[in-house]
Amino acid sequence: MAGGVAAWLPFARAAAIGWMPVASAPMPIPPKDKRKSQEGLIILNVSGTKFQTWKNTLERYPDTLLGSTERDFFFHEETNEYFFDRDPDIFRHILNFYRTGKLHYPRQECISAYDEELAFFGIIPEIIGDCCYEEYKDRRRENAERLQDDEEMDQSNDTTPVNLTPREYLWRAFENPHTSTLALVFYYVTGFFIAISVMANVVETVPCGLMPNRSKELSCGDRYALAFFCLDTACVMIFTFEYLLRLVAAPCRFKFMKSVMSVIDVVAIMPYYIGLVMTDNDQVSGAFVTLRVFRVFRIFKFSRHSAGLRILGYTLKSCASELGFLLFSLTMAIIIFATVMFYAEKGSTASKFTSIPAAFWYTIVTMTTLGYGDMVPKTIVGKVFGSICSLSGVLVIALPVPVIVSNFSRIYHQSQRAEKRRAQRKSRVAKIRAAKIRGTNAYMRYKHSGVMDSVEEASKEAGKLLVSKATSPPFESQHHHLLHCLEKTTNHEFVDEQTFQTNCMEISMMNKAGSRSSSLASSPRLSSCCSRRHRKKSSFSLPSTNNQELSTIQIRERPVVNSRSSLNARLNDDGGMTLKCDASYITPSMVTLSPPAVTSSGGGDGPTGSITYSQSNIVRVSAL
Amino acid sequence: MKTKNRDQSLSDSRELDGSYDQLTDSIEDDFELSTVCHRPESMDKLQDQTKFTKKELQVLYRGFKNCGCSLLCLCFVPQECPSGVVNEENFKTIYSQFFPQGDSSMYAHFLFEAFDTDKNGSVSFEDFVFGLSIILRGTINDRLNWAFNLYDLNKDGCITKEEMLDIMKSIYDMMGKCTYPNMQDEAPREHVENFFQKMDRNKDGVVTIEEFIESCQKDENIMQSMQLFDNVI
Repeated sequence: MAGGVAAWLPFARAAAIGWMPVASAPMPIPPKDKRKSQEGLIILNVSGTKFQTWKNTLERYPDTLLGSTERDFFFHEETNEYFFDRDPDIFRHILNFYRTGKLHYPRQECISAYDEELAFFGIIPEIIGDCCYEEYKDRRRENAERLQDDEEMDQSNDTTPVNLTPREYLWRAFENPHTSTLALVFYYVTGFFIAISVMANVVETVPCGLMPNRSKELSCGDRYALAFFCLDTACVMIFTFEYLLRLVAAPCRFKFMKSVMSVIDVVAIMPYYIGLVMTDNDQVSGAFVTLRVFRVFRIFKFSRHSAGLRILGYTLKSCASELGFLLFSLTMAIIIFATVMFYAEKGSTASKFTSIPAAFWYTIVTMTTLGYGDMVPKTIVGKVFGSICSLSGVLVIALPVPVIVSNFSRIYHQSQRAEKRRAQRKSRVAKIRAAKIRGTNAYMRYKHSGVMDSVEEASKEAGKLLVSKATSPPFESQHHHLLHCLEKTTNHEFVDEQTFQTNCMEISMMNKAGSRSSSLASSPRLSSCCSRRHRKKSSFSLPSTNNQELSTIQIRERPVVNSRSSLNARLNDDGGMTLKCDASYITPSMVTLSPPAVTSSGGGDGPTGSITYSQSNIVRVSAL
Repeated sequence: MKTKNRDQSLSDSRELDGSYDQLTDSIEDDFELSTVCHRPESMDKLQDQTKFTKKELQVLYRGFKNCGCSLLCLCFVPQECPSGVVNEENFKTIYSQFFPQGDSSMYAHFLFEAFDTDKNGSVSFEDFVFGLSIILRGTINDRLNWAFNLYDLNKDGCITKEEMLDIMKSIYDMMGKCTYPNMQDEAPREHVENFFQKMDRNKDGVVTIEEFIESCQKDENIMQSMQLFDNVI
């Protein structure tokens, strides 16, 4: 039942009196009205701004926060009002919904802030009134697309290199040349050869001076035929090699073969092979010459190298309907005017307008305001229609052009925005990371100053001391205490990055000494047994990677067996370390690296608490 | 403040304005009509005329004035919603919200006829409050009178079988199709027969007001159920 009718329910119940005389059975007893006084004002204090309304108003929609007993959780005894620590500006709209039954979306508010408020107050956004619903949906879709773009960019940028197959690695190198130096080199080399090839095609046709025993001027292509042939061969070799590599690396070969770029590649190299196959026959030489024209398509290969070119192509594709309209209207106009001009000029002597198709040329040249002057009307009628033709040409062309321009501008700005966001994101990530590191460093300081003593009582005292000093605000000290509890719970400790990495190196060296493949090589196994989401967020990787997660807190395992040699021995016994991926300790994205021996002997030794830094198995955790 | 008749207020404004144009009048009429606001009589007067307290009148009025408009917007019904009065379409829409599984339009129509005492096609707040006052605060006799008035569709003082059949059908329509046991087509008619057997003393085929009141007073069930909704407001 819609909430708005709640106020009319008494009327509906009263109207039931019409059934009473005709009823043949006794009526059921009405429910007892528990809350006698439904009357009364309610004061809603939202971050200091006081709103007042009738209790009835709020109870119109009993499945929302304000209309149900859920609001009692926010009742503030001392001031006898309901206090909400939320945004008062948006709350105004929410309260208006109760009053009028219509929910409006204020255009100047951020869409996600608004959504959050609605979710908090238990109002579904679908009841936004018609006046505002479209705007709301548009903004929401735009926001979602933007976030999705960001995520995709994240994905494409942040996949770790360790866990790709060679084929995937190759494909990624092709698609994103900035990922590795080799890919970049290849990228530039191919670009260079494309340029060379195109220039060779152009220079081939330049007249190069007379041969001594010929009278005709030779083009450079004929004079230095061998040189050009070698150049062409070299370019085509490279292009073929590149194409085959791409074909091999493509995740879906069929889809790759259908894509535009691959078609361009094929068209670029085909003429050469066809030329090889065909003999220098007179009959086919004409066709052969035509094929050479296709070599100029190599210039389109540049679109892999230039984003602007891709945008242009995309724009034209997206404006296909406008272009089609332009073409169609021009065709119509051309036919009309050509016919008119033909019949107008039919009478004049030595007229160039020999047929209607011949007049097409005149019409096109006139409508596009080129005016070569090779065909001009001589009769007066012809001149009159010629001027009408040129005037209308301007109009017909000017109409669809703004649409194309605006499309191009929109797409271009979108791509610029994507670039900008990518650049901004790096700096944002760096700043956030710095802030997080400051936080963890504060915790390190807290630990080092207070809690390094191994004995529990000592640490307690130190903790008390620390508390009495009270240099840090209560929030922070509670946070630190929490982290400390966590450490105690898991028998692991927090360390900073340098220590972690040095210990990493130590492990690898230890493992090599123990005739095992390096722990780092075992990391693929490690990450492969984690879910894909972990792969994105967490990283167990070499120190070289620096483009990953937003924050890391390293956890060092504290093996209860303290001697290094025994651990070594155990490692050697096992033949290696098993990698546990269970996430029972800290966060779901944590990854631990623990020899099985530790847990078994964990119960044996008491909580000595001494940390041996040298033999720690370091794991890296990304904090959620 | 006296409640003006809609036409009356319109002609007043025309005189004052002096811009009355016969040719274009019809179009402006519509716009003007929709913005004519109907204000009810003062609360003191209403309090004298009905048996509601001030607080109850306040609650009733707020519900009447607000929800008349907002509810329709919720139902996506694009209709004019003059503030202060409820017309039959609104009435039907509001009532149908309470009976989603059946068709309550006929019964709502009869109710509308019963509430709209001055027969001007819309239920003003006074009509509304007067009606409710009788139902909720009146004596048993008053209520029985009101119910009789509801059944007597042509207001000629007696209920015929056809009128009763219409009423009965409208009540059964509100149940909808999904009932247990299954709704038979003959159910209303049978019910009407039973009703007339009980009420029609002199077996003349119609039920007059005296017969009605007398028969109801003899029936314990009816007397009890008449008092069921005393505490609705």
